Amino acid sequence: MVCADHGAYLLNLKLKDVAEDGKKLAQAIQHCYELYRYDMVLVFSDPYVESQAMGCPVELDPYPTLLGPATRHSIDRTQEIILAAKILKTELDVPVFVSIKGPFTLAAFLAGIERYLKIILKKEAEASRFLEEALRHQLQYLQSLLALGVNIMIGDPLASSSVISPRIFFKYAFKGLQAIVAKAKNHGAIVAVHICGDVRPISKYLDDLGADILSIEDVDLRTRTLKMGGVGTNTILTGDLHRMRTEIEEAFKNKNLVLSTTCDVPPHTPPQHIKAMLRIAGERADDME
Amino acid sequence: MFDSIKKAVIAMDDEKTRESVSIALMKKSDPVEILERGLIAGMQEVASLFARKEYYVPEVLLCSEAFYAGFDIIKPLIKNSSRKPRAKIVFGVVEGDIHDIGKNIVKVMMEAAGYEVIDLGRDVPVIEFIKAIEKENPDILALSSLMTTTMTHMGEIILELEKRKLREGVRVIVGGAPVNEEFAASIKADGYSPDGVSAVKLIQKLVSG
Repeated sequence: MVCADHGAYLLNLKLKDVAEDGKKLAQAIQHCYELYRYDMVLVFSDPYVESQAMGCPVELDPYPTLLGPATRHSIDRTQEIILAAKILKTELDVPVFVSIKGPFTLAAFLAGIERYLKIILKKEAEASRFLEEALRHQLQYLQSLLALGVNIMIGDPLASSSVISPRIFFKYAFKGLQAIVAKAKNHGAIVAVHICGDVRPISKYLDDLGADILSIEDVDLRTRTLKMGGVGTNTILTGDLHRMRTEIEEAFKNKNLVLSTTCDVPPHTPPQHIKAMLRIAGERADDME
Repeated sequence: MFDSIKKAVIAMDDEKTRESVSIALMKKSDPVEILERGLIAGMQEVASLFARKEYYVPEVLLCSEAFYAGFDIIKPLIKNSSRKPRAKIVFGVVEGDIHDIGKNIVKVMMEAAGYEVIDLGRDVPVIEFIKAIEKENPDILALSSLMTTTMTHMGEIILELEKRKLREGVRVIVGGAPVNEEFAASIKADGYSPDGVSAVKLIQKLVSG
């Protein structure tokens, strides 16, 4: 998954400029697409677009950073995301995905991550209020994205079993994700769900989310749903060709897979590493024909 | 008595931990014993529960809170005792990164295992790590990063240590969501650990090796 931060790096732009300007955001994403020619583009500048729109203080320079829980002062960059998506939908002939946050992660951003992880165990009513607020916002935001005819990538990093138990996932994260997936699919969008880290303990819930694609690290996990991943983000960053080839070989054994990096390509990744991944994958695909 | 402190930590109950520690002190228990047989024993069980995936980050955060509720009471009393830390660790989240939940969890595991931790906090510039190494002369430098944008600072810190001829005196370990063994090897770190439990094991190995 190549995101706008890599495009900003290649174009010698500050990520802040790209994250605050829909035209520049589209330019960064289009630049990467034209350089690498992969099969879809993802409109994603940073994880804090919605939380900032809901009042969280965010610093974008030099790296996007969430500074604290929501206050009354909000800055709405969702319109810039919508503008970028519109431009890319017009300019490119590949599927355009737009990233939105899963309600559980967004609720944690609004409450303050550490505090939220505590109140889900100790103050359940308060935790549920944050979650309801997050879901309400995301369903509205989703509506405006679906009107563009784009596809949706829901990122819910804190819903990972590297962070919360399967019980908490089911209680707090599952229904919100399911609601967003259902709404997007009803509008004809392709929907991917991205959860970083360990998902094995929640594997029994993943198919029931109803998504078209699961973007997860453990692509060997048995699911009915198409998976996306295969190449580690460290592999692409370090450019270890032997490792890259091995991971791609392994990925090709899995018929139910869209080859991708397991998470965002680190912004300072040398372009030749990404090109190497695409070249090796292309050669492997040719061998199969 | 020590068992009730241990159980209160495992039960994520900070009030009960505070109360149990206070009772133990009133009964003239040795603060070092309260720490080792009560609080640390509790956190060791928490570490096992985390390793077995019975506890996750929220549970460990609340147990840590309970641990510190008791530890804060006895800390001033322990400073005057003869208890010596097993090794000294300088620990921080690299520059540009303010995600410190993981670091704080690993820190409590380290302290519970008997290590002295000099916590530099989060968003720590390269030069501040260097100054801390010069001042504290630690056995271990532990670096954390949660972002692909900031993890590259870990390599810069190691290069700076080499440049200043400080590298041989300290073992460097790294951790955080985007980091793995390969990345650790690529920046010439001495080790990588994915969580607090394995970080403690790694440190034990490095300081005894």
